[in-house]
Parts: sequence; C-alpha cells; structure tokens
Amino acid sequence: MPPASPTTPGPFGSKLLRKSSRSMLGMDPQKIIKTFFGANSGITIVVLVLIMVFLLREGAGFLSTYHHELEVYRKAGLEFCDIADTPLKQQQQLTSALRRAKASAASDEAKRALGDAEEAFETAIEPADEIVSELKTHATETKELANEFHTLEVGRLQLLAAAYSTSDPTRKADLLKEAELSKVDAPNYEERIAAVIDRREELAKALTDYTTVLGTAAVALPDAVADVKTAVPAHIAEVHAAVKKLETWSWQEPVSFFTAARSFFFGTGWITNSSWQDFYGVVPLLTGSLLISLVALLIATPISVSAAIYTNQFASDQEKEIIKPVIEFIQAIPSVVLGFIGIAVVGDLIKGVSQWEILSWIPGFPIQERLNIFNAGFLLAFMAVPTMFSLAEDALNNVPRAYSEASDALGATKLQTVFRVIVPAAISGILAAILLGLGRVIGETMVVLLVAGNRIAIPDFGDGLGVIFQPAHTLTGIIAQELGEVSRGSSHWQALFMVGILLFVISLSVNWCARTIAKRFEHPKA
Amino acid sequence: MPETASSAAQHAPVVQVRDMDFCYGSKAALHSIHLDVEYHRVTALIGPSGCGKSTLLRCINRMNDRVAGARVSKGEILVKGKNIHDADVDLTQLRRQVGMVFQKSNPFPKTIYENVAYGLRVHGVKDKTTLDEAVERSLTQAALWDELKDRLQAHALGLSGGQQQRLCIARAIATMPDVLLMDEPCSALDPIATLKIEELIAQLARNYSVVIVTHNMQQAVRVSDFTAFLHLGKLVEFAPTEELFTNPREKLTDSYLRGTFS
Repeated sequence: MPPASPTTPGPFGSKLLRKSSRSMLGMDPQKIIKTFFGANSGITIVVLVLIMVFLLREGAGFLSTYHHELEVYRKAGLEFCDIADTPLKQQQQLTSALRRAKASAASDEAKRALGDAEEAFETAIEPADEIVSELKTHATETKELANEFHTLEVGRLQLLAAAYSTSDPTRKADLLKEAELSKVDAPNYEERIAAVIDRREELAKALTDYTTVLGTAAVALPDAVADVKTAVPAHIAEVHAAVKKLETWSWQEPVSFFTAARSFFFGTGWITNSSWQDFYGVVPLLTGSLLISLVALLIATPISVSAAIYTNQFASDQEKEIIKPVIEFIQAIPSVVLGFIGIAVVGDLIKGVSQWEILSWIPGFPIQERLNIFNAGFLLAFMAVPTMFSLAEDALNNVPRAYSEASDALGATKLQTVFRVIVPAAISGILAAILLGLGRVIGETMVVLLVAGNRIAIPDFGDGLGVIFQPAHTLTGIIAQELGEVSRGSSHWQALFMVGILLFVISLSVNWCARTIAKRFEHPKA
Repeated sequence: MPETASSAAQHAPVVQVRDMDFCYGSKAALHSIHLDVEYHRVTALIGPSGCGKSTLLRCINRMNDRVAGARVSKGEILVKGKNIHDADVDLTQLRRQVGMVFQKSNPFPKTIYENVAYGLRVHGVKDKTTLDEAVERSLTQAALWDELKDRLQAHALGLSGGQQQRLCIARAIATMPDVLLMDEPCSALDPIATLKIEELIAQLARNYSVVIVTHNMQQAVRVSDFTAFLHLGKLVEFAPTEELFTNPREKLTDSYLRGTFS
C-alpha cells in the first residue's frame, strides 16, 4: 500500500497523522510536552543556583562575625597574652627535652647535672609565667563580659525589630519596654585593659631576666643534650622578639576585615570549642585535602590511563567485555565500605610493610600511624579510577580512525601508531579525564573521614616525602565531622559554610579547567 | 629521478596481481583479478560504487589486514616480483614501498614538518639533516614547498582542504615508495584543488608508479595511462586509457561509459 499522502490521508493515516484538533487546557498537547521537558532541565539549573545562594547566605556572615571575634580578642588583651605565651610554650618543650634526657641518662652524675639544669630552667621562667597566667584570667573575664554583652545586644535588637514590625500598639509598647530593660552597658575595654597594660613593663623585665639566666644556664649544659644547647640561642632571640612586640602592642589598633579574611585563608590553626580563643584557619585542612588528592592522583593516573590505552587499542573483544564492566563496577562500591577496608586492611598492611628492613630507605618508614594521608590517597585513587578510565577511554575512542589508518599505511607498528599518533591526539581528553578524577577526589568525604587520621595540623614537611605517612584532616572531613555538633548560626557554623564555599570554588574551577582543556583541541568530525 | 633499477627491471610491471580472489569472511568481494601496474605510469581503477575498486587498491599494501576476516583466498600479488603474502614479508617494509593517500585528507594533528617526517621517523630515521632533506624533497614534489617553506612548524590542521590533501601526498612519498596508491583523492575537494592534485599526479608519475581509484571518468581520462574497469568484483576490461574510453572491447564497459547501465 503506498504511503498516505499528506493532502489526502487514508482512513488510518488521518487518525495517526493529523494534528490533534482537541486541546488540553487551551494548549496544544505538543506544546505541553515541550514545556514539560524544558521545565525539567530548567529545574536542575534552578537547584544549582539555589545551592549557591544558600551556601553564600550562610557563609557570608562569617567574615563579619569572625572580624568581631578577633576584635574582642585584641581589645580584651587575649592577643597580648598569646604573644607572651609563645616563648613560654617553647620553654616547656626545652624543659621536657631535658627531662627525657635525664630519664635516659646513664650515670647518676649526669642525671644530677641534667636535673639541676632543668630546675634552673623552671625557676627562671616562674615570674614571667605567673604574670602571664594572671593576665590570662583577667583577659578571659573581659572576653566573657564582651560575649555576654554581645548576646544581650543581639537579643535586644531582635526585640526592637519585632516591636517595629508589629501593628498592635500594646504589644509594641511591651516589646519596647522589654528591650529597654535588657539594655546593658558595653564593657569598658579601656578600663579593663589598663590592668594588663600596667603590668607590661613588669612582664618585659621578667622575660628579659629569664633570658639572662637561661643564657648562663645553657653554657653549663652537658654535651649529652647538644640539641637543647643549640636551640637555646634561637629561643632567646624569639623571647626578645616577643618582648619587642609586647612593647609596641596596642589594644586600640583596629582589626581590618582584611585581617579576618587573611586569618581564615592563611591561618595555620583550626582551633574550635576552646576555652581560650577559637581560630578558623583553613590552611591545615587545605594542605590535608591537597596532599591526599595529590597522592590519589599520582596513583590513579598511571593505572587508569594505561588501562584505558590497553582496553581501547590492544584488548580483544572478549577482554574488553571483562575489563570495562569490572572497572565500572568499582564505582558501585559504597565509599563507607571502602573506608572499612582502609581501616581494617590497608592500614595494617602498610604499617606491616613499612616495618620490613629492606624498605627502610623509603622516607617516613617505619610509619607510626595506620590512618594517614597515603592510606586515604590510596583508597581515593581506587575510587577515581573508574571516572578517569571511562573518560580517558572515551577520549581515545574519539580519535578519528583516519589517523590510525594513515599511520598504518606509512608502515608504523601498532605501538608506534598508539604512542605517536593516537595518544597525542587524545591528550586533551586524557588530561580532562585526569582533572575530572581530581574533582571527584577532592569532593570525596566518607573515605577521608574514616581513613585520613583526622589530625588537625599542618603535616610536617620536614620529613620530605615521608609527609604522606602522617595523619591529616580535610576540608570535606571537617564539615562532615563538625557541622552536626555546632549551634546554628554561630561563628563556627559559618566557618564551616565558608569551608564549603571554598570546596565548591575548588571543584568548580577544576571542572572548568577540564572543560576548557577538552574543548581546546576538538577533533574534526570524521 | 633515481635510476637505480636496471633498465630491464624498469619495464617489468611493478605490481602484478595474479588471478586473485578476495573475500570478507564468507562474502567474496573480488573474483580472479589479473592486473599489472606498469612502472612509472598512472593506472586508474574505475567502476560503479561497491564494485571492489577500493578493496583491490587496499590489497596492494595489505590495508585490508585491519579488517577482521578479510583475506586473499586464491592467487597472489607481487610487488617488484615478491609475493606480499610470503611469510618473510615485513609489513612495515611493504608499506614503505607502497604508499597510500586516502579519500579524505587525514593529516595528523601535528606540525607540517612532523607530518611529512612521520614515515621516516617510524622507520627509525633520527638524523636531522636527512629528515630536513626528505621534508623539502617531498614538499617540493607535492608542489607545496613554495607555499609552506616558511611555516613548517605551523599546525597541519590549519591548512586548506586542498593543501591538506597535498600534504598527505607529501607524507606518503617521504619514504620514497615505489608505488603510490590513491583512493579517490579528490572526492572531497573543490574543482580548483582537484585540478591542482591532477596536475600533481602527472608530475608524480615521473618518480612513482601511481594507482588511483576514481569515480570520475573524466579524471581517469585526464590523469591515467591505463584504466581498469571493475564490475561486481570482476575485472571487466583493462587497457590503455585512450583505447578503453574510445574503443572499449566489452559491451559492459561501453554501456558504463555511455551511462546506459541497466
């Protein structure tokens, strides 16, 4: 039967081909279907925008809150105490080094000499130590006053806002009265800080005296504790620097927003829930995240790229049918299960292996911690392999057949064709695959939370490459660990959202780079 | 023109296809093909689509090895007197002797220089002077040297379509093959670029034996010395071009040339 022509449709054609004459809700059904699909793709974009807005809204308040906290930190004199405290902490380290030396000393005579030295160290610092601890108590009181005032002030402002928005006159009067009652005076920082400033001279003198005593005591130290002996001059210099800083310190010096931002992005300490002062410095977390990702990338890249090259270029059809699903299956393993494996298997394994004599040349071996950067990086590499493999394989697959044909016709061997023509032609896609793998790794949370060791400190790069066997904490891990426990809207809460924003920006830029690289050299369609 | 071969060998056909059958798996594609490619002459293969002319071309440098199940089931092909399916034949050496240019220009995404030098590099040539000389010679023979000598380090994919195809010819002749196979080299080009390639083919015949597949009969007349007409996997007629086009012996050839094909 010849097909029904559009002008004269047959009996069935007329039913099937005609445009519906009916309409739903006054709209053409085709239009409804189109709108439905369009709306679905629109929703994803809207959701993404909402996520960004939400993150920014929660995080935006952080800088001003943190700025306020740092201001109180300075005005209440906590900063002053911290300047003096730094050399005191060093002194404690020196003394405990002496104590350890004493415990392991061979002869009684040496023990006695070291004991005397330790005592001399302890007595020398006592006056300064006393002053600092008194000042600390005073500063903490000031800070508590400031916090109390801040809380009340915020509550009062809320009452006032409620009062102005209500229309009921009696309720308005009540609210205003309540607000009036909760009004308290701001703490008088000038008066409070005077007690601290007054003792500045005294503290400076105590510290200077301490250095004099220490200098003479250090000369008498036995050679057995050479490390302490050499550390003393540097320590003395630090104390002098601290004294100078104390003398120029002023409580009135304004804290700029720039300082708050800098102490977030470049701050070396992430100290929370402390009785003294909270600091939100992101550097330890960022280093942890970057080191773990780097390790993961270094392990995953060669594995996935060579697997992709083999599968795409050399494997027989049966091999392909095994390799591809198996590698893609890795993606189906829940990350928390990989975390178990990291704790139960990989940790013990690398610790055991690190104790082998023949491997002692590897920096950082034998390792102390089962849960460390390398362990986390290793498991993340495992998670990144499927992403990187699939994308790299796609990139190789997209290389026009004409290239390999031309290369073959010129007498190149299979290996020459693969490494001189196909891989170079796919290199942008392979790089993009690596970057997208990096994006996957940076954002991963569960494995690093379980396996990275969660020590919030900048890893000690003095170990050289051994640094990767130290525990670390990460940007993702810290959010997962702390967000459930902080009070909503506090500075800590906001700081975690800032970490989220940072993470978002990193992932976004990694993805953007990947897209740019992939677009850079698009193959002619062949 | 290098006159290394003895004059006797010069007159022997450089490629001899002897009574060859070819099949893709169980499907026969060519039947009893018997064809000689003369030394330093242009041989054209014509015929309707699917007649096997490209398959025949690809048999000569064993490009069909890439296709699973494709094989010569009867007869043999000799290149310079040597059976190319002998066990001791090195495929890379064969392809060095028999160069190929494809239907669609396919320069590598590399520089112009690297494209031309590629064939030598895969055969282990590392010496810079040798490579430089080969690049200059090949580009000159492909009539590209004057256009491109100042931008040898430019990316090959930035050239025009005609230039790209001539670059592919330069790449194929850089290894100094004895035979140059061309699979519809002008089908994707405009008339002016086509004209340039046709002129080039005439010049190339001074140094190389050329086999060209074309669906354009005028082109076969213009460029070739001998023409083979294939139909349904059989060689219908093979004769000097002028003879075949003016005075075909076979009725089938005649009707194909007239366009009165049933």
